[in-house]
Amino acid sequence: MKIHNSKKNLFLALAACAALTLSACSDDNAAGSADAESDNPNSITMSWPRDIGPMNPHVYNPSQLITQSMIYEPLVSYEEGGEVKPHLAESWTVSEDGREYTFKLREGVQFTDGSSLTSEVVKKNFDAVLANKNSHSWLGVINVLDKIEVVDELTFKMVLTQAYYPALQDLAVVRPVRMLGEAGFPEDGDTSKGITEPVGTGPWVLDEYKTDEYAVFKRNPDYWGESPELEEVTIKIIPDAETRVLAFEKGELDLIYGEGVVSMDSFNYLKETGEYTTDLSDPVATRTMLVNSTSEKLSDLNVRLALHHGFNKQAMVEGITLGLEEKADSILSSNFPYAQEDIEAIEYDVEKAASYLDEAGWKLESGGAIREKDGQPLELELIYDKTDPIQKAMAETLQAEWSAIGVKLNIAGLELTEQIERRKEGNFDLDFWYNYGAPYDPHSMINVVAEDGWGVAEAHSNLPMKTELDEQVREALASTDETKRQELYGTILTTLQEQSVFIPISYMKKTVAYQNDIESFEFPANRDEHPFNDISVSK
Amino acid sequence: MVIYLIKRLFAVVPIILFAIFLMFVLVRLSPVDPAQAYLAASNIHPTEELLAEKRQEFGLDRPLIVQYFQTVADIVRFDFGNSYVTNTPVWQEIATRLPATLQLAFSSILVAIIVSVPLGFLSAVYKNSWLDHFSRLLSYLGASIPQFWLGYVLIFFFAVKLDLFPVEGRGTWQHFVLPSITLSLALIAIYTRLLRASVLEELEETYVLYGRTRGLKEKGIMVKHVLRISISPMLTGLGMNLGKLLTGTIIVEQVFSWPGFGRFFIEAIFNRDIPVIQSYVVLAACLFIVCNLIVDIIQLYLDPRISREGRTQF
Repeated sequence: MKIHNSKKNLFLALAACAALTLSACSDDNAAGSADAESDNPNSITMSWPRDIGPMNPHVYNPSQLITQSMIYEPLVSYEEGGEVKPHLAESWTVSEDGREYTFKLREGVQFTDGSSLTSEVVKKNFDAVLANKNSHSWLGVINVLDKIEVVDELTFKMVLTQAYYPALQDLAVVRPVRMLGEAGFPEDGDTSKGITEPVGTGPWVLDEYKTDEYAVFKRNPDYWGESPELEEVTIKIIPDAETRVLAFEKGELDLIYGEGVVSMDSFNYLKETGEYTTDLSDPVATRTMLVNSTSEKLSDLNVRLALHHGFNKQAMVEGITLGLEEKADSILSSNFPYAQEDIEAIEYDVEKAASYLDEAGWKLESGGAIREKDGQPLELELIYDKTDPIQKAMAETLQAEWSAIGVKLNIAGLELTEQIERRKEGNFDLDFWYNYGAPYDPHSMINVVAEDGWGVAEAHSNLPMKTELDEQVREALASTDETKRQELYGTILTTLQEQSVFIPISYMKKTVAYQNDIESFEFPANRDEHPFNDISVSK
Repeated sequence: MVIYLIKRLFAVVPIILFAIFLMFVLVRLSPVDPAQAYLAASNIHPTEELLAEKRQEFGLDRPLIVQYFQTVADIVRFDFGNSYVTNTPVWQEIATRLPATLQLAFSSILVAIIVSVPLGFLSAVYKNSWLDHFSRLLSYLGASIPQFWLGYVLIFFFAVKLDLFPVEGRGTWQHFVLPSITLSLALIAIYTRLLRASVLEELEETYVLYGRTRGLKEKGIMVKHVLRISISPMLTGLGMNLGKLLTGTIIVEQVFSWPGFGRFFIEAIFNRDIPVIQSYVVLAACLFIVCNLIVDIIQLYLDPRISREGRTQF
């Protein structure tokens, strides 16, 4: 009898669990009614791998750049070819010494809380960012920003500690220099700890949000600029790339967009079905090999050149990235400002590679597989991020390719933080490195070539012309003379190429796949900007 | 029985301490520097000064033994620290996401029970019939198919091709179907075989023969006696698997975009969000320990012969 009762109790407990589960389902029915399936024909649904985060314009993770850029706007915008155009600031003047920028704000711009964009709000935003300068020192303009002075309601002055030509380009980045409305600030004004609500001037307003599930953005009815054609954009959070493709195939998604958001195989599969539109952007960044000139064997230019000539880049890039990346001959692709069209490519040439090594004194004994010099084998180590399948595949390919010229390459897959640590310590021979893309480049890239702390300048420190190179970089960043700057960039990029301290591998691109009812789509020039303003759908 | 329970509860303490110690050692053995990981997750350029400051703040400059006791003291107070990425208390992050994970786990258990009880029972009663062969095949499949693969296959056929269920997400009862099946198939594989073996064993018992000779109805013997007794080992297995089930949701949550704690944990791994990883490991360990304890208590309740006190009565 006792046993019978206990079974009965257990059954009741299980029934309670079932009821709980089912009631949770029915609760969700109500809550999830919006559940990303919009009835509005003038809307689209796309997916994003991560939750959009708290939408604070002045901090980084976990807020997502794409959605931050929908709500918050910059003073100036970055357009094709690196052209900086007026945005919230309708005009500006730069003092002769390049230290003072006077901006005139656009009149009649309203935040979504109904307040107006004024110089005071702009100052409040910059002050909040400067209060946490440590977090933002990676951005050149913040590093040299002295203060913001309010001149009148719509005019303010940005005073720098020194001339810095890319200041405007830096102001176009998505974070941390976009404008939050007054109502979004916490009482103490310290946005690093959080904001009260996402109040921006952008064309989109966050309408509904469920952590880890979805976010619905509605068109801002009071937007000052040209209104987007779409009325609504839903962003579904789908962390898995394969699930994303399946949801797209089923029609639950209209658009898959971004970098690495689908596997290369899946992208090609979607392309080959012919049922969808797929496209690749212009290069957004360059996948590069960082060569450590302070390493004994790599301090010899001939060895660096031999490595550069010694692998079939075209075949490697095509084979591993399945055509989604493009072979890179220069560290800066031609769609970036100051790119050097006439820079000489270092082509695949095994014989040349072998002769460079011979010249450097690394000889291949008859019957031997590895070159030697003074009894030492030519053995190098390439470190890579072990969670990155492309880096791993490329490391293995290079291992095979360079063994053909008598170089033994040891490859070491590391935790990302360990890889960064070893780069900073200079404890490597070769390492994968990426530049930053638009609007951060080319100035951010040359900055790390000259300034210590990132591991790049340190890796280049053995170059005979290092002091001169650093001076050229600093001069280029501070120069107010456009012609001089062009010239300096030419010299810097040519030196880096000729010295083979960077081996450019491939130009990385963004991918997009969309359903055929999307009529127009354009990749934004700014790597981090959202693409929704130019999208229209056939109704 | 009370003494037995108190003893068991006390025995849990050193096990949990050992789990915390193991987690502590594993995190220290990892090449990831928590200070470096924090700055990387917060997108702050790691200068030497900042790294030193963070190491001091996290107490990483103190002797290991001090760090260990501090960790234990924090965990006992349910203070898992703040997530490096979201900068909010990990406990809060868990509380937000755990209900979704629990819902998925319980719905999977329901599916597993609904399928494996009749299937296991009938495949024993109709031994070597087509149903028995089918249940054997299902068990092989359930035990050998990787969950992520099964998830993709179910999505492909039932969501994309047949359009019966949504591909991913959470919101309606339809959203529960595919992830619950994915998660429960492995359980069905185990419980069906467990119940079948147990029923077969019980069928050999003399009370069945006695029942038959007394002229009791076959259905009555099977359902009221054989099934009732045979189900006991399955309940034990169910309890023991509860911890496994909750941690097993990680893959399924990722594949079906289920907004639970497992998915958050995967993101934490990629972000090197050490406080979240630590708390997950400790919670998972506690969950296993507590589930085992609960099973033992249920067993004790169901079968008093287990306790000394009970044994004297039989």
